[in-house]
Amino acid sequence: MKASMDRRSFLKGAGTLALGGLIPLNLIEVAFGKDNPQNFTFGYISDSHLTHIKGTQFVRNWDHGLRRAVAELNMMDPKPDFVVYGGDIAQLGKKEEIDHGLEMLSSIRNKIHYVMGEHDYYLDLGKYWESQLGPQWYSFDHKGVHFVVLNSILTYPDWTYKRWPTAQERMHQMARLDNPQGSPFMVGEAQRAWMQQDLAKVSKDTPIVVLSHSPLYKIYKGWNFWTDDAEQVQALLQPFKKVTVIHGHVHQVLYNQIGNISFYAVMSTAWPWPYANTYTQAKSLVPKLTVPMNRADPFHERDATGWTSFDLANGHVDTHYQLWSNTDRTVAFNTRDGKPEDTVYQPEDKRIPPQTQY
Amino acid sequence: MNKFLFGTAIMAMTMAYGIPAADASSPPLGLPPVPIPADNPQTPAKIALGDKLFHDARFSSTGTISCASCHADAKAFTDHLPVAEGIHKLKGTRNTPTIINAAYFHLLFWDGREPSLEAQAKDPMVNPVEMGLKNHEPVLKIVRTDPAYQAMFKQVFGVTGNQVTMKQVLMAIASFERNVVSGDSPFDRYVYGGDKKAMSPAAVAGMSIFQNKGRCVDCHTMNTTYATFTDNRFHNLGIGSNELGTKKMQQLAMAFLASKAHRKEVDTTVLTNKDMSELGRFAVTGQLNDLGAFKTPILRNVAVTGPYMHNGSLKSLMDVVNFYNNGGVVKKGEKATVFQSGGIRPLGLTEKEKKELVAFLEALTSPQYVNDGPKSHIRSAASR
Amino acid sequence: MNFKHTRFFLSLTLGLGLGLAGTASAQADEFTNADLEQWQQDFAWTVKKGDRLFHSPLGSNTVSCDQCHPNAADTHPETYPKFQKQLGRVATLGDMINWCIQNPAQGKPMSLDDPRMIALEAYITYERRGVPLAPGKH
Repeated sequence: MKASMDRRSFLKGAGTLALGGLIPLNLIEVAFGKDNPQNFTFGYISDSHLTHIKGTQFVRNWDHGLRRAVAELNMMDPKPDFVVYGGDIAQLGKKEEIDHGLEMLSSIRNKIHYVMGEHDYYLDLGKYWESQLGPQWYSFDHKGVHFVVLNSILTYPDWTYKRWPTAQERMHQMARLDNPQGSPFMVGEAQRAWMQQDLAKVSKDTPIVVLSHSPLYKIYKGWNFWTDDAEQVQALLQPFKKVTVIHGHVHQVLYNQIGNISFYAVMSTAWPWPYANTYTQAKSLVPKLTVPMNRADPFHERDATGWTSFDLANGHVDTHYQLWSNTDRTVAFNTRDGKPEDTVYQPEDKRIPPQTQY
Repeated sequence: MNKFLFGTAIMAMTMAYGIPAADASSPPLGLPPVPIPADNPQTPAKIALGDKLFHDARFSSTGTISCASCHADAKAFTDHLPVAEGIHKLKGTRNTPTIINAAYFHLLFWDGREPSLEAQAKDPMVNPVEMGLKNHEPVLKIVRTDPAYQAMFKQVFGVTGNQVTMKQVLMAIASFERNVVSGDSPFDRYVYGGDKKAMSPAAVAGMSIFQNKGRCVDCHTMNTTYATFTDNRFHNLGIGSNELGTKKMQQLAMAFLASKAHRKEVDTTVLTNKDMSELGRFAVTGQLNDLGAFKTPILRNVAVTGPYMHNGSLKSLMDVVNFYNNGGVVKKGEKATVFQSGGIRPLGLTEKEKKELVAFLEALTSPQYVNDGPKSHIRSAASR
Repeated sequence: MNFKHTRFFLSLTLGLGLGLAGTASAQADEFTNADLEQWQQDFAWTVKKGDRLFHSPLGSNTVSCDQCHPNAADTHPETYPKFQKQLGRVATLGDMINWCIQNPAQGKPMSLDDPRMIALEAYITYERRGVPLAPGKH
């Protein structure tokens, strides 16, 4: 293992054993400089959508997904530095659902940083969530990287406070993805102001990683793969040299580069969403850069779901998609081209039939 | 040689050697053409040589175990034991698969660790609990010096003395195995032969369950003009791994990776260590998706090749149906590991539906194997 | 009497006959714009019904179709009939709808001529309007 080997070719060479965590990660550090304090790994579980049916009965399928993600993440050796939960523990924001999820997540042997999702928020506007997990937006630093956690699934006050007769109705309306009566997500003025202040204390050379639920760019408004004030949030991040946004919500392999910001979606443990450009009656902006994930066989309930682990090295992030029932995918930051790139499938002639989405 | 003469030659070989006739160009009813590698074409003489090698007990350290000891002709090429027993009756960890229709597999062994019939045949010879040889030298000595083998190797491969290598031994054995294919079961005659009386009403109902409520067909595949009943993939059903539990499976997996066991040792490790055997294909690929996963068997002749599953833990077909019906656990209410395939779930079959499903499975037996089941096997009247 | 005259007398008779019956309208196979409008409404009503069904739990576990198929995306109705791996045979859209009801939604299948099935098919195909037929495409 030559010290000068570039990260991408190392990962390619690791072949089928490149399980993000199960490859001996100390090898990466040897390759890229043990003395570089900014190399580390974190795990990411997201979008479990645990659904309460009645009594102690929950939807089997979603329960299985979260349990499996927790068990596999616990097998990462060496342990990741920390874990992030990317939002949507619950499906309808119920206490039973949040508690059920937190109980399963309690066997994770790391500190977990939580990101709020709309399915957690719209029943009680985050009250139970905050009581268990703390503030809806916050920041923290780790090994020289500044992490900003946002609640990016807020929406217009009218829709939130006045439009619906009951909290349950509001939650049901937000729960439906293709809802013509939905309302677009946003970070909002208050949070943007807080973020501006927070970032003012950070040097422009410090790598920034933003963790949000919805993508902080615009893909398809009809499914709320969208953040209304994305441009304003991106503007706040523009002065920094190395910026990554990691988001959930879309339940698919998705990645993009806008200016200085790399965007990565994480997998859901519950179910996959289609790519927005497969809805033929409307226009959407699915990034051309993304090599799609394999289409699922719905017979295999864990197909097109999974969890994600991230290597952070030299301020940029490499994404390891742990895909159940499928070959894992690695999307690494290409320092020469300045954007994310799948380590196997990025060239057009390397694509395989299951990646064809239509 | 035109097709007709070739076919006649095959028939002649059948009579001379008692080998079931199979013409690669017209497969049995219900099966696709047998995949034949370009560098190992079928000839009657090669098949006969492979037959002889397959039945030769001298290829073991005790001189008592041949391939056919476990893959016994009269037992539908299995041994009707839960796990195989080799030299000195040493027990392995896995159930002996039948060689019937093994030609249709893409990978061999329960965990797919060998890519072809040729590659597979060499491993049991040097496995300590199977045929027990230290290496293949004793095999080479015999085939190079035994006059009968000398003549056959000369005739088939044009080689003598030290030109005879394991490569040719394995090609001949694979060739014999490729000739053991069978279709033409009551199911085949009903679906592909158009004989609407070939299956009983119970079996016909069972076939519908197989394709619908039973959730069988996604892995045990059927196509429009033939059915191999395998997707050639690997799945964790929960057999074996459930008993160990999620925590133990995690520990075994991590211990295995830490020990950096190499491919060569996998054959020995998984057949001598019961716990390690439960890693399944994970021991070959190191992929978490393969943890506790085993190859989807071809269901043809399943009624006569029990007991079932990679560790032979299920005795009867009804036991198998109950296992699936319970959602991949032996007793209702037991827990499965988190690594269980997402295709496994409780089925909600009625007693009647379970019996019909069993009747369908019994209709997959080819006529020549109908009497080769375990002595304790009772065929339900519904399958006839 | 030549043909031309026959036709004239026939239409006259029919016209008078219908006149005598009290209604003046087109022939049986001449549908009007009003007919078209009416039939479009019938269809649109069925699409709406299918939309409601598609967005409601059709099984026993609260799961609804739109959870995997927002706006019926990823259903590919234009590719049916095709070999459907989950069914092990060439199948129709209705067959696959039933598979989804029974499997992810843990519900009971409908008969293929059930008005609810027809409504679902109407909605699914409507959300895919304009996409060329591609039977057999996986």
